[in-house]
This record gives sequence, C-alpha cells and structure tokens, in this order.
Amino acid sequence: MKILSVFILVLFFAFSGFSQSCQIRLSGHIEDADTKEKLQVATVRISELNMVIVTDTKGDFVFPDLCKGNYTLVVTHVNCDPVEQKIILEKDYHTDIVLPHSRKVLGDVVIEAQKGIPNSGFKKQLSGRSIDETRGMSLAEALSKLNGVTMLQNGSNVSKPVIHGLHGSRILTINNGVRQEGQQWGNEHAPEIDPFIAEKLEVIKGVDELRYGSDAIGGVVLVEPRALISKPGHHLEFNSAFFTNNRQFVLSALFEQQLKKQPAFRYRIQGTYKKGANVSTPEYRLNNTGNEEKNYSLTLGWKKQQWNTELFHSHFETTVGIFPGSHIGNISDLLSAIEAPKPSDVFLGQQAYRIGRPSQKVNHDLFKSKTVFFTNQHKFSLLLAGQFNQRKEFDVVRNAANTNPQLDLNISTYTEDLSLELPKKKNLTGTAGISAVQQFNDYRGRYFIPNYQSNAVGAYFIEKWSKHDWEWQAGIRYDHKGINTTRLKSNGDTINNQFQFSTFAGSFNVMYKPVDECKINMNLSLSSRAPYVNELLCDGIHHGTATYEKGDVGLKPERSLSLNTGAHFVHHDSWLELDFLAYVNVIRNFIYQQPMPDNPVLTIAGAFPLMSYQQTDALLSGFDFTAKCSLSKNVDLNTKLSYLDARNTKTNDWLVLMPANRISNEFVYLLKKNKKIQDGYLSLECMNVMQQKNIPGSMNGKQDYKVPPPAYFLLNVNSSVAFLVHKNRVTIGFSVRNLLNRSYRDYMNTMRYFTDEMGRNVCIRLKCQL
Amino acid sequence: MIVLMIASLSSCKKDAVPETNDEEVITTMKLTFVPVGGSASFTYQFDDSDGPGGNAPMQDSIVLSSSTSYVVTLQLLNKTTNPVTDLTTEIQTESDAHRFYYEPSVGSNLTVSQLDNDDNGVPLGINGTWSASTAATGTIKITLRHYPGTPPGKETSDPVNSTKSATDVEVIFNTIVQ
Repeated sequence: MKILSVFILVLFFAFSGFSQSCQIRLSGHIEDADTKEKLQVATVRISELNMVIVTDTKGDFVFPDLCKGNYTLVVTHVNCDPVEQKIILEKDYHTDIVLPHSRKVLGDVVIEAQKGIPNSGFKKQLSGRSIDETRGMSLAEALSKLNGVTMLQNGSNVSKPVIHGLHGSRILTINNGVRQEGQQWGNEHAPEIDPFIAEKLEVIKGVDELRYGSDAIGGVVLVEPRALISKPGHHLEFNSAFFTNNRQFVLSALFEQQLKKQPAFRYRIQGTYKKGANVSTPEYRLNNTGNEEKNYSLTLGWKKQQWNTELFHSHFETTVGIFPGSHIGNISDLLSAIEAPKPSDVFLGQQAYRIGRPSQKVNHDLFKSKTVFFTNQHKFSLLLAGQFNQRKEFDVVRNAANTNPQLDLNISTYTEDLSLELPKKKNLTGTAGISAVQQFNDYRGRYFIPNYQSNAVGAYFIEKWSKHDWEWQAGIRYDHKGINTTRLKSNGDTINNQFQFSTFAGSFNVMYKPVDECKINMNLSLSSRAPYVNELLCDGIHHGTATYEKGDVGLKPERSLSLNTGAHFVHHDSWLELDFLAYVNVIRNFIYQQPMPDNPVLTIAGAFPLMSYQQTDALLSGFDFTAKCSLSKNVDLNTKLSYLDARNTKTNDWLVLMPANRISNEFVYLLKKNKKIQDGYLSLECMNVMQQKNIPGSMNGKQDYKVPPPAYFLLNVNSSVAFLVHKNRVTIGFSVRNLLNRSYRDYMNTMRYFTDEMGRNVCIRLKCQL
Repeated sequence: MIVLMIASLSSCKKDAVPETNDEEVITTMKLTFVPVGGSASFTYQFDDSDGPGGNAPMQDSIVLSSSTSYVVTLQLLNKTTNPVTDLTTEIQTESDAHRFYYEPSVGSNLTVSQLDNDDNGVPLGINGTWSASTAATGTIKITLRHYPGTPPGKETSDPVNSTKSATDVEVIFNTIVQ
C-alpha cells in the first residue's frame, strides 16, 4: 500500500502539460439555501478578471469565452450572505451555488439534502452564531446544541457526544478529513480535538457515511476547518472567553496569509490555551476538577491550476482533574456514595487551578497531507495521515511520592485514502475510493486492553442521480480488518489472539421536493461494525462503576439496519420553518455489557459484580422535531424536541444509559442592524430534561444501582453583538448557563452517583477579526 | 512530510512490551498471630497471587483457641512482582491516609482491641490484640480504607463506610474458636 501511494503520487506529478484556450463557458445557477428559491438579480463576480454578471429570472448566469485558469466567484444577493467559490476551469463548466439566507445565521439545525455529493443525506450543522456560542466549551458540549445529540459525561471536564443514543466506537469523528483514532472505546475518554479548529461542526447520516467507514452505526461527526485564505493578504482572528463558575479562561488565535509574490502558497497557524479551576455546584465546590488544554495547529497550502496540496499538523494536549470523592474501591463504596446526599466535606471547598490525582493526561498529534489532482474533470484526492495518541490515567495511589500513571496507553494510526470523483454525466455523478489503516497499540502499567496491531482495507462507491424535484443516491462499502493481539504477562506467559472481520455497508437515499417550500428525505442504511479490542479482550476492574469487565473473543460484528425519514418545510416568507426526523435503527448482535449476578469476581477488595460483553438485538427508535417561528419582526421562537426509545429485544427490556427525552424553547430577540451594529441578539432558552424511566429491570442482573435522577429544568441566556471598529469586526458575547443556579444531576453523567452538576456559569466572550 | 510519514510506516512495527507491574495491586493479606503467654506463632492468609481476575483467591479459615489473646500483625503483599513487595511499609509511611477496620460478626466470640495509631493519634490498625472467648463460629471482616483527600481529613469517629475514604481491601474470613 505504501509503495502504491508513492507511485500514485509520482504519477500525478507527471501530469503537468496544459495549453491555453479562451473559449470556455462557465455557467451556473443560484438558489437560496433555505427556501430553494431561484435567486434572480444576484451579482456574480469573477474577482481575478473583475467581470460582473447578474442572474436572470431563473437564477442562471453564463460567462462565455473564458480562458483556462483558477477563478474566484463571488456571489452576492440582497437577502443573503455572500458566498465565494473557487473554480479551476479547464473545460465548459456548470456550477450550482446555494446562498445562505442571512437570517439563517440564527438557525443551528438544518436537515437537508443539498445539491452535490458532499452534503447529501441527513445533516445537522453548527456554524455561525451557534458555534460562536459554544466557544470555550468541549467538542461534545458544542455538539449537544444539536437536536438529537446529547453527551455522555464523567464530570464536567470529560464528555463525549451521543447521537440518537449511540456513542463511542459507533460514531465516527472526522477531524479535518481524517478519521479520528484514539482510545474512543472508553466512556471516560473524550474526543481529542480542539473545537477552535472548526468553523463548522456537522453530524451526518446517510450515504456519505460510507466515505469514512462501514461502521458508522450512530452517525458521523465532521469537524470542518474553514478553507485557507483565498486572496492575497492576511487574516487574523482572536477569540477569548472567561467563565465565572470555575474561573476558566480560554485564549485562541489564528493567523493566515497568502503571499502576494507567491500566491500559490498559503498558510495558517492556530493555537488555543485553556485553563479552568475547580468547578462549583450551587451548594459546594468540587476539589480537583480543574482542566488545562494546550493545542496548536499548522496548515500549509499550495495551489496550482491542476493540483493543490495541503499539509496539516495539529497537537492536542489536555490534563483533566477527576473529583476525588468519586474514588470508589468496590460495590459497597458505590452503595454508600449513593446513600449520601452530598460528598464528604474533605473533597469540597478548594478554589484552585492545581490538578492532583486522580487525573487524566492525553496527547494527540495528527499529521496529514491531502493532495487533489484534476484531470479531464476527474478529481483525485490522496490523503495520508498519521495519528499518535497517548493516554495516561493517574489513580489515587497509596504512596504520595509515586508519579507514575496507573494506566498508560499509546496508539499510533496511519491512514491512506485515495478517492476519485467522476464528472457529471446525464444527471449522474459518482465517487469511488479505497482506504487503508494500520494501527499499533501498546500499554504499560495496569492491564485493561492488550497490545495489538491491526490492518484494515476498504473500498467504496457512491453514485448520485438528480433531476428536477428528485435526487437519488446509493452507495456501498466493504472493509476488512485483521487484528493481532499480544498480552505478555509479568510471569512470562503470553496470550495471543488473532481476529479477522469483514464488514459491509450500503446506503440508499431518496429526496423529493414536491414544492419549493417542502422537502422529503428518506434513507435506508446498512452498517456493520467489527468488535473493538476492548470488547474482545478487556479484563479488569472498571473503577468508575465498581464492576469487573470481561471481554469475549467470540464476538461477531454488529449489523445495523436503519431507516431515517425527514421532512423539512419553510414558509415562503420564511416566518416558519419546521423540521422533522424520525428514525428506526435495528441492530443485530448489538454488543453490550451483561451483568452476571451468579459469577461475582472475588478480589482482595471484595466481590465485584461481573459484567460480560455479550451480544443481543437492539431496537432504537425516536424522532427529533425542530420548529422556528417568527413571533414578530424581532422575536423568534425556536423549539427543539427529541424522543428516544431503546430496547433490548432479546430480553424484552430497556437498554441502560440512554439519554432522557427533552424539549427546549428559545426566545430570540434580534437587534436592529444599523451602521454601527452589524448583528446582535439576546436569547432565553428554557430546557426541560425528563427523568429517564425506561431503564432495565434487575431480573437479568443489576445494570445500575441508582434510580435515574429526577427531571430538571434549566434557564440559559445567550447574547452577542457584533460591530465594526476601524473596519474590523468585533463580536462581544455574554451568556449564562443555569441562570437559576438549580441543583440537578444528569443520568448520562457518571458523577450522578456522587455530585450535583455545575451551578450558574456566566461567560463573556470576545472575538476580533482583523 | 509525506516521505517522512511513509518512512515511519515501515519502521513502526514494535515488539510487545511485557506487562509492567502495577504497583497498586494487592494480592495477599497475611495475619501473624502471636499468642499472649508464649506458645508458637502462626499465620493465616487471603491469597490471590495473580491479582484480580484469573485464578480464584485461596483463603484460610482462622482457627483460634478459646480464652486466649493474640497479638496480631497484618501484612499486605504484592506477589505479582519479583521479588514480592511488602506494601505494609508504604501504608505505614502514609498512615494518616489509611485505616484498617476489624469487624467480628455477632456470636463469633472475638474482640479486636488496642489497635496502633497513626502520627495524629487516630487508629491505623496494622497491629492489634485479638481476644477469643468461648467456642463459636463466625466471621471477621477486615477492611483497609484509603483517604484520597488532600488533606486526608482522617478522624477517630469515621465509620468504615465514611464517604471520606474508599476501600482498598475488604476480606471476610471465617472464624472458629475452639
């Protein structure tokens, strides 16, 4: 594979002959992204040539007689935010451009099947205002603003996203085009990504999942940086935030430049520093709950007529304190913690940034190169990436002089992806790709998962057909993964295992737009996920839950068949926007932890309940509903409702740890724009999270020892105002989470056994763009 | 960078590293009984020499003579290391963050008293005196609690299930007084 990659690279560099001809026709069609309305009188400018054309009544435009070259199209319309598009012109070319409605900056949830393969299927997106509101938060916290996405937490500093009840290895996270590979199997392992890298966060389901793997049973999270600067000059952006609850401050800066003398070359440097002290609940402050993050990234881009290449490196480094009052030694400790109304005073009341044991320290480095070649309207992309992840967990130890981590995992992952986009022919477009992944894991200290090497190869093909009101898409993917594991015990014994898994995925999507205001989307997807090494071979005490977890080498891949149906409606005056998504996900061989009440594991710390990885059949079904309604010229109401049922169909029982149903209403007051104020709003959000009542019974062994916490209600405030200072855009934001300072606990937080959630948290944000 | 990455691909095959020993593992609790009045000492133990999981632990029943007192010394060992580590000294050093509790069952006719103290005068319990009265069978639960707080905040009045501390060791022995 490596040799092949090099060969292809060399081959592509050999393609460099080109000639000049100036009879190329560039045509296009402009639509409103929300309403799908054809936009007439939109201005289309080619910045390099300073040519301007206005669209006709059908929203179409044509530039005849252009020369070959790289062009930047700038499209502006009175109702919309301007859009820039880069075009590499070699032949006659047609482009469809959608303009985001300027009001859309307020919308954070869009489910749409846009034109073009990149955005097909089901998509929920966080960008613009909605991502600005999350600056300073973790990736999962930011994503949980999307309807249908929740969080699985271990205290306030460790959180991972949950999509429609599924998390961990059932969700793929794509960081700047690269599939994130760390120790994502653990419930206490948060994704190792600096959210400031992203301009956009998206959750997708459907045919496009196949580009990334056959195992996206829960969906795919895309962390998308913005494109590199596209005109000579430089751009500087500075973000900062301060949170009062834990005195957390965040500083992030980004600088990018395109050189005038060497316009093909662009670069960007970006860095983030974050530090927070101990977190306070409404009634008490929790010791050792600080956090620190040091991240940076560097992007270099080289763009020529027929090819462009991008090199990217990012470093993520975090240290997170874990509340010491959650340190439990066995099941009787867990039961006494559950009995206690609040943690002992010895773990409370310190206001400090210092992080001691227990804690986690995680580093993640990513190196990536992506090269794109254009020949005869074919687009080849070659992506090579290396990821190096180190996780160290520091437990409470008997000897204070001990500085060693108790769990120490190192995983290196190398990825090679080659994809080909075929030109559009008779309403058909196609994409095909092959990929390979090599992974090496080793551990020191306590055993939880073995050393392993894995090799995976995969191939996919996606075809899209669109005409008039219909769009059809279909895709298939096949992956094969081989895993060799080694556990070399201290007495010299070796335990070796070998596994081979083949997984297949297919997806079919149909979108129909009966009228401009309405869109219906339906998707049927088959995904399969090979068992992870922890599910096969973990063997040890899980301290957070006081259980003994044991893997099973006989596990088979999980297979999921999911049906998603979506409907989207926007009134032509856009005073009302409705969005509905219903899903049914049938998962065969669903891997879960089954309590084995008859076989407790006796250790010197007492008897631990045994949880064994087993397979069952699961049925997850639910819906997300979003409504956006203008109550008056300046006031909007946004409603989000999400509902989920998760069943173990073999035992005819509920599945454990599934997010509770929730509804939120947000009133938004929009400030009038004037010369000074570019954009401004004030919003009040009322969030209701129900009690999770659908929990497994104890007839098959106890899955949990505490009744899920009661329902809770939170009030949150968000506001921001943007204005120009010497032509530079400055945005000041102010928000309050848990305005009423309510004490509550959340079922999806492991700390629910021990402590309340964070109390009132006021945040001030400043963003400058120079 | 691409070349570097490809080069590193071919060089990244690593040999498996043997499991290094987890210094936090406790495999064995050993109790040494010295009868008051001079007869020979003897030991009883709970032994899980491969650590949690794997083979099941071996556990003695504690057999004592009626109307006798014993000076008992407790030892904790980690047998997964070579040589075996004695963890009792570590606990002695961090005595203000550790405490052993002895809970004989009702009707076992055992009492445990005169536990040794830490530097602050709060019971530690590495040494103590066990007194057996008349013949009976029962159990005794021995618990080691660890205080993770800084400062630990250990006090004489702390119950065995205090939320200040967590369990490092919890062993129940069957007892026979004859």
